[in-house]
Amino acid sequence: MSLHGLRTLARGALRPPENDSAFLLDVHRRAVPRERMARYDDAYAVDLVIVGAGAGGGTLAQRLARRGWKVVVLESGPFWDPDEDWVSDEAGSHKLYWTDARVTGGEDPVELGKNNSGHGVGGSMVHYAGYCPRFHPSDFEVRTRDGVGEDWPISYRDLKPHYERLELELPVAGDYWPWGDPHRYPHGPHPIAGGADIAREGARRLGIEVRVGPVGITNGSFGNRPHCIYRGFCLQACKVNAKASPLVTHIPDAIEHGAEIRANCMVTAVEIDDSSGRITGVRYIHDEVERFQHADAVAVAGYSIETPRLLLNSTSRRYPHGLANNNDQVGRCVMVQGAPQVAGRFPDELRMYKAPPPEISSEQFYETDPARGFARGFSIQTVGPLPIEWAQHVMADGHWGRALREYMRDYNHWYTLGILSELLPLPENRVTVDSEVTDQNGIPVARMEYTQCENDRKNIAFAKQTLHDIWEAAGAQDVLEIDRYAHLVGGCRMGVDPERSVVDSDHRAWGIPNLFIADGSVMPTQGSANPALTIMALASRLADRLAGGRLDAHAAIARRSSGRRRTAPSPPSAPHRPAPAGSRTDES
Amino acid sequence: MPSTRDFRKAEHLPNLRPGKQPADPDELPRQRNGVTPQMHGRYPDYNVLDEASHWDEVTRRVVLERVESTPEIRFFTHPEVLTLGAFCDVVMAQDREPKIPVLNMVDAKLFAGQLDGFRFAGMPDDRETWRLAAKGLDAVARQHGCTDFASASDEVQHKIVDAFHQGELRGEVWDEINPKRAWSVLMRSVLSAFYSHPWAWNEIGFGGPAYPRGYARLGRGQRESWEGGPAFERDPVKDTHARGVEGAE
Repeated sequence: MSLHGLRTLARGALRPPENDSAFLLDVHRRAVPRERMARYDDAYAVDLVIVGAGAGGGTLAQRLARRGWKVVVLESGPFWDPDEDWVSDEAGSHKLYWTDARVTGGEDPVELGKNNSGHGVGGSMVHYAGYCPRFHPSDFEVRTRDGVGEDWPISYRDLKPHYERLELELPVAGDYWPWGDPHRYPHGPHPIAGGADIAREGARRLGIEVRVGPVGITNGSFGNRPHCIYRGFCLQACKVNAKASPLVTHIPDAIEHGAEIRANCMVTAVEIDDSSGRITGVRYIHDEVERFQHADAVAVAGYSIETPRLLLNSTSRRYPHGLANNNDQVGRCVMVQGAPQVAGRFPDELRMYKAPPPEISSEQFYETDPARGFARGFSIQTVGPLPIEWAQHVMADGHWGRALREYMRDYNHWYTLGILSELLPLPENRVTVDSEVTDQNGIPVARMEYTQCENDRKNIAFAKQTLHDIWEAAGAQDVLEIDRYAHLVGGCRMGVDPERSVVDSDHRAWGIPNLFIADGSVMPTQGSANPALTIMALASRLADRLAGGRLDAHAAIARRSSGRRRTAPSPPSAPHRPAPAGSRTDES
Repeated sequence: MPSTRDFRKAEHLPNLRPGKQPADPDELPRQRNGVTPQMHGRYPDYNVLDEASHWDEVTRRVVLERVESTPEIRFFTHPEVLTLGAFCDVVMAQDREPKIPVLNMVDAKLFAGQLDGFRFAGMPDDRETWRLAAKGLDAVARQHGCTDFASASDEVQHKIVDAFHQGELRGEVWDEINPKRAWSVLMRSVLSAFYSHPWAWNEIGFGGPAYPRGYARLGRGQRESWEGGPAFERDPVKDTHARGVEGAE
């Protein structure tokens, strides 16, 4: 048999190395088994506290728990049970978002809280569409190549092995991928719905190449995760366990290896010892009681709004303007992608509510083309708005009252394409804290300023026109357009210069030996790819750096290698772990 | 009686019609199975609630609650209810019963403090924005010589809502809050309420909750056996069997 034949035969049968999450889930219920989850005492200094159980925090926890680290993840939201907590319904899924107050300003303010926020174990990947593209090699050197944005302190080569490993773990399904660093996916492409088929035909007529995928949705069963049922409610959280999120891809294995995922714990401050300059742990609120978890090191993974907010609210004598913010860099260069959508109308019923919204995509316009008159580019993807989202789309095109109802009644004849435009990092686009607005705990909330630059506006306008061209080529009878944003990255970017970044290439805050940032906020640029897979890959690489002892300032590593014993109560060892005496058992 | 309309064509769509004016929805068939807002729709024999036994229990509870109980007004004051109720009717074109109780659904959310996770800089809390908008709509109605928004004529109400939509309201409240932002705050809640209601799903032929059944027929022009077909595929006289109304008068 040819090599290709063998690969085809192996599709879906490959078990990812060093991650049994899919096999640790229960066949008959969707909730993550956690009867045997370790519990650590607040007073016990664990090796690492991670703030946030999303793409970054979940992946980091699993990797380091596997390497024997004692890890506690503090998550502000609940530990979801898909059977009991999630519904196959748009309005009923409001609780998946970060709905605490935030203020949004600037000339092009970004609506927060919904598609760009997460809440609960699994983070925003619980309700992401499922697209899992890699970044292109060019993304890591846009300043050198295109004279815009910022070069990363690491390269595509640093992340490539982590991309490959994660694509097996999620697993990612899709066609052979010809763009960026060409590669194949462990699961084959899903079938696509009628609307995507029409869009693909329109694109082909214009010479635009499209491919199916790449999505983190099982195509075939995978461990104890079943096949996708093409229900179409991916954005309302997957009740099937077919769509990948850290809740099903990394948390079960993390728990199995001794990590504690402590839900409903809102971290309000990271504490530093002013004399030594080392982080001592985090202050958090659980059941309206303030507690303090001691830790040898802290990794913040609260995403691009809450991570800067937490640092800025963590003031001390050494850091009067917020932790790691003595160079006034925290919160800067926060980015969103331009994500306008254009819907096309066709004679046949297309019923776009069926099948996962992410069906096909094109990265043909990803790289800079000087002929287009702006730097960098965009990608094209499919989206499948359900009725409430569709109503927003219709209203954005200028309709209300009877006209809106008429377009809504026509729902089943429409299909929708979307753009992800790479918008550039600008220092004035920033997350700060608004001392006049506080949350229910009295903590100042985040305020985000966002204004596009000329390159951004040109990119979005060109990309939108491309969608109109595709629908025209496909023979659409009418089109409706909406301007919007998607995703959030940046705000605590990594770099080589403390004057222009918050963390170094090892995600370590400049000048603070045991504080790390492990989420999308470290990204210096964003490409026009959905960020989830890259956030996971960054966390996976960070775990390698930490566990490999390459970050020698880490106290836990030093202590472990010197063989010194702890004075705190001995934590349980995997896999059999009765809770240590005096430990918390109030997991909820 | 409904004129013959071919929905394979797009002539009914406002963007393609003179003045972008939609056709009279009363030309559509009357709903025969279940309820749609104002009882017209394109899928007269499709009632998504007939499928409730196929939904998972948690979802069923959440969705049926919406149909079976109308939350009492607890957040808005009586004068606010008059103004905002009229506003909701105009923006959703609900000119007669049966109506989806949009304002009651919004009221319940605001009363429970279920907000959307952000506010625009320079704007108050969404709850305050709703109250200010009520004041502002009445103020603009007075500029038109009416006592308040609710008692204004249809024509004046439409004129005011159109100006609101364009961000062109001026004076009093509207000098304090940005009407464009306020429109976005109000409409986000109004649309969420209206299109979360199964009656609206009947009107647009949406499949509704789909767990654990899922979908099998994804292709162009295909539908599951239980999904409703549009009325105009059938002859209104000869289709009594297909419509299940055989034996009817």
